[in-house]
Amino acid sequence: MGISRSEAASALTDIESTAGRSRLLRGYHYAAPILMLWGLIWAVGYTAMGLLATNRWGLIWLVLDIVGVVSTILLSRRGQGAARGGQTWKILAGCGAVAAFCAAVFAMFQPTSREAALAFPGLMTGLVYAGAGIAWAPRYLWIGAALFAASLVGFFVFQPWLAYWMAAAGGGALFVSGLWLRRA
Amino acid sequence: MAALHAEREAGPVEFSRLKAITQATDGNLGSHLTTLEKAGYVEIAKDFVGKRPRTRASLTQVGAKAFRRHVDYLRAVVEGVDGD
Repeated sequence: MGISRSEAASALTDIESTAGRSRLLRGYHYAAPILMLWGLIWAVGYTAMGLLATNRWGLIWLVLDIVGVVSTILLSRRGQGAARGGQTWKILAGCGAVAAFCAAVFAMFQPTSREAALAFPGLMTGLVYAGAGIAWAPRYLWIGAALFAASLVGFFVFQPWLAYWMAAAGGGALFVSGLWLRRA
Repeated sequence: MAALHAEREAGPVEFSRLKAITQATDGNLGSHLTTLEKAGYVEIAKDFVGKRPRTRASLTQVGAKAFRRHVDYLRAVVEGVDGD
């Protein structure tokens, strides 16, 4: 006895949903070490911002970003078997777009408040993750929300220690998020 | 079968991962795997990682072929080649 067209369509939909969940979980596993890496870079960068003069910040982030990008490429190559080839360039293009947007905003608005300059990249990164979460992978929505909230709380509540707050809360949120994705 | 087929390039899949992909209960997934193993569609390997028991499953060639045939059949039904 055969099956009806609607039953067959429903079975195909189930198969596609299962394949979709498999791709999603594989994507989480692929992104986990990269997120943990950027959590560490974030923590080191913001700690250095707290310790050093404002005119050294650009140099610190230039060095850290180069380390981050090279490490991301290496981690992506290691995970190439489990992920699609174009993934690395999508991640790097995303990071580049966020960095370029932040630099353009700073150049246009010339923030005079040190605290606003510290918190803004956190808000921006949080927004990007939240957008990715809404569009593709739900866990990124929570990661983005955590980063966004941590940046806002730091700006309004912990201004005297904002750089260290961003290092601990922002870097910590990214690192813990990486662990969370690895367990997916 | 769909989960194992989707994960076939990553090698054997751990039970916990299969559970997350299929969203099935332990008992339900275990019973499905046993049935598929008896049919020769799935290979199950059990070992220990440290002191933790680990169960991994992978699709056999026969299983992969049967799955592809099943999907082709479903598509044919949907496209009106067969069925109602």
